[in-house]
Amino acid sequence: MSHTGAVFIALAEMRRAPGRFALLVGAVALLVLLLLFFQTVAGALTSGLTGAFESNRADVFVYSDRARLNPFASVVTLDAADAVADVEGVRDATPVGVSVFTATTDVGDTDIAIVGGDPAGPASPRDVDEGRRPEAPDEALFSGSSLDSAFAVDDTVQVGDRTLTVVGTSSDAALNVLPTFYVPLDTYTEAVRARAGAPIDVPVSWIGVTVTDGADPATVATAITDRVDGLEAVDRATATDAIPGVGQITRSFSILYLLLYIVVTIVTGVFFLILTVQKTEALVLLRAIGGSRGDVVKPVLLQAVAVVGLGSVLGVVATSGLLSVTRDVFGSSLSTGTTVASVGAIVVLGLLASVGAVRRVLAIDPIDATTGGVA
Amino acid sequence: MRIAIRELQRQPGRFAPVTAALTLLVVLLLVLGGFLDGLEGSQTGAYRAHDGMVLAFADSAELQLQRSVVGADTAEELEARDDVDAVGRLGRVDTTAVPRDTDTVEDVAVFGYDLGTDVLPAPSTDGAVVDATLAELTGIEVGDVIEIGPAATPVTVSDLIDDLTQGSPTVWLPWDQWRDVAMDAAPADVLPDGASQALVLRPTGSADALAQGSVAEGVDAVTPEDAILALDVVQQQSSTFEGIIGVTFAVTLLVIGLFFALIVLERVGLYAVLKALGAGTRDLLTGLAVQAVAISAVALVAGIVVAFAFTGLLPADLPIRILPARVGLIAGGTVLTALLGSLLTLRRIVRIDPASAIG
Repeated sequence: MSHTGAVFIALAEMRRAPGRFALLVGAVALLVLLLLFFQTVAGALTSGLTGAFESNRADVFVYSDRARLNPFASVVTLDAADAVADVEGVRDATPVGVSVFTATTDVGDTDIAIVGGDPAGPASPRDVDEGRRPEAPDEALFSGSSLDSAFAVDDTVQVGDRTLTVVGTSSDAALNVLPTFYVPLDTYTEAVRARAGAPIDVPVSWIGVTVTDGADPATVATAITDRVDGLEAVDRATATDAIPGVGQITRSFSILYLLLYIVVTIVTGVFFLILTVQKTEALVLLRAIGGSRGDVVKPVLLQAVAVVGLGSVLGVVATSGLLSVTRDVFGSSLSTGTTVASVGAIVVLGLLASVGAVRRVLAIDPIDATTGGVA
Repeated sequence: MRIAIRELQRQPGRFAPVTAALTLLVVLLLVLGGFLDGLEGSQTGAYRAHDGMVLAFADSAELQLQRSVVGADTAEELEARDDVDAVGRLGRVDTTAVPRDTDTVEDVAVFGYDLGTDVLPAPSTDGAVVDATLAELTGIEVGDVIEIGPAATPVTVSDLIDDLTQGSPTVWLPWDQWRDVAMDAAPADVLPDGASQALVLRPTGSADALAQGSVAEGVDAVTPEDAILALDVVQQQSSTFEGIIGVTFAVTLLVIGLFFALIVLERVGLYAVLKALGAGTRDLLTGLAVQAVAISAVALVAGIVVAFAFTGLLPADLPIRILPARVGLIAGGTVLTALLGSLLTLRRIVRIDPASAIG
């Protein structure tokens, strides 16, 4: 039988029994939807947590040594920046303060993160998409995660008695999955004092460091940790990985991905096995009239690819639709790379899942057509 | 029904593949439910420790502790009410804790409080109430000293209490001591003099009754349950995971439906004979329903065993907790879904003509 013949048989069977194949396609589509939805939500959450660090100008982040690399538990005095600046390999060292404030916006009250630091130093995102960096008090560079409201240039938010004006925006540089406003350090300090109702000393959370040309950030970080008491410095990648919650999210969702891949494989495998068992008599006849093993295996494999492929396409379409509908909640869209990789993995797993059915087909003995000894 | 049961007994292999698939779906459902309950439980322990009390937040804070600032004058006003027995302050600051003479640093949420509850002992200057999760992570015991925050404020562990985690393991300090720690740990978040983030009201009567009325101007008073429901993180997690669990049940429905569609297809001739002998559509459907319930029961038992074994192998810091109530919900949902799936074949069974039994 030619390849075309195998395709004909596979498609003819699917046309004649559309209900059973539709159910399996539907199940695969829903599982693909779950998988892609998980991946998108996990990606949005992780990016919202890590963006402020991954996109930061700083090569090295310096925390209090008691903070366990947790930027929200770190408290550093302003003068520590001078000590850090004296370490060999450091080009610029900028104190950075962060705190969460309640801001009044056009859409009501919301929590925002304010990051205070030298707008020209390693305290803010590397890239500005629109507008410019702050140059005056109460000007802000905005960045949000896909999970929260976006602000545009010239938008304003009220924080206590101060009005922050967005003068620029940057992508994917949110802190702690909050709308994030990068402001000059003085603006941050004044906002903290206004909230406290007293002219308190306001220490900072970390020191952002850029290294000199050719210097290795990890080496400079080690030098800072060794030479300045009470501080722990790490390069950007280490700081990003250490953010509380990132590892937990990644591992939790990885477990769910693993389970979903297993379920797709088992569901697909089980049903092709049942289908094969049910049509064993027909396959024996096909073999008895001269069909080769390849002739009976090819339609099974083609059906597996067709069912899983169609299910995957429908799953991708359904996920896109779901993410569009929930844009206000998750604000995310499918990543092409992730989608292609996941669908590819599912098609491969679908083929692997059909191994049981293929083995059953290969075990068929044409002589059974004459004896009736069909399984 | 008897035929259906005998078929299950005599040909268990026929039902094994779908039982295996359903078992995996049960494992997936339980793990998803475990994450939902684990995440919610690990974000709300501090509030649940105040069951029977009423929490009062600034009305502009939308019941978010971090946003709320309540002044001392409000506390005095509430204390004067007849339906309020006592008023206490409540505040939270996130920092780190290190057991003395160790290098084990852990993130903690330090709470300052005035009032004991059924779960929390009354605050004492002799020591701190500590979430047992911190003990699991660091190995501390009652009587040990932990150093809190950047100033390494030493605190003796006076009690270890389960299920107090709220985002991070919690440490509970008397209000004045907490305020000192908060000044060191988060100077940028320091509260105005006399203010707290929230107030805890001990009602003279029912907490629900007190929470229903307007207790003071500028204040929202709610039960801990309502404060939990208002947490952004709980709302988002619940809606996301419940949606995902719903889709997983839909997959289960399709899997069961597909299996029984194939089974019915295979048995069309047999069903025609049974109908010719007097069996009704209802009898045939009952047989399928019995098989569906039996399959789902076996899958549930296997799935529950596998899910508990699987989650037992996961790292302790992952927020997963399979609660009996969740197991019950998933068990009920699975059996119901299996029943519905088996009944998807109704149309095909109704259309079987007894006359086809004789050709």
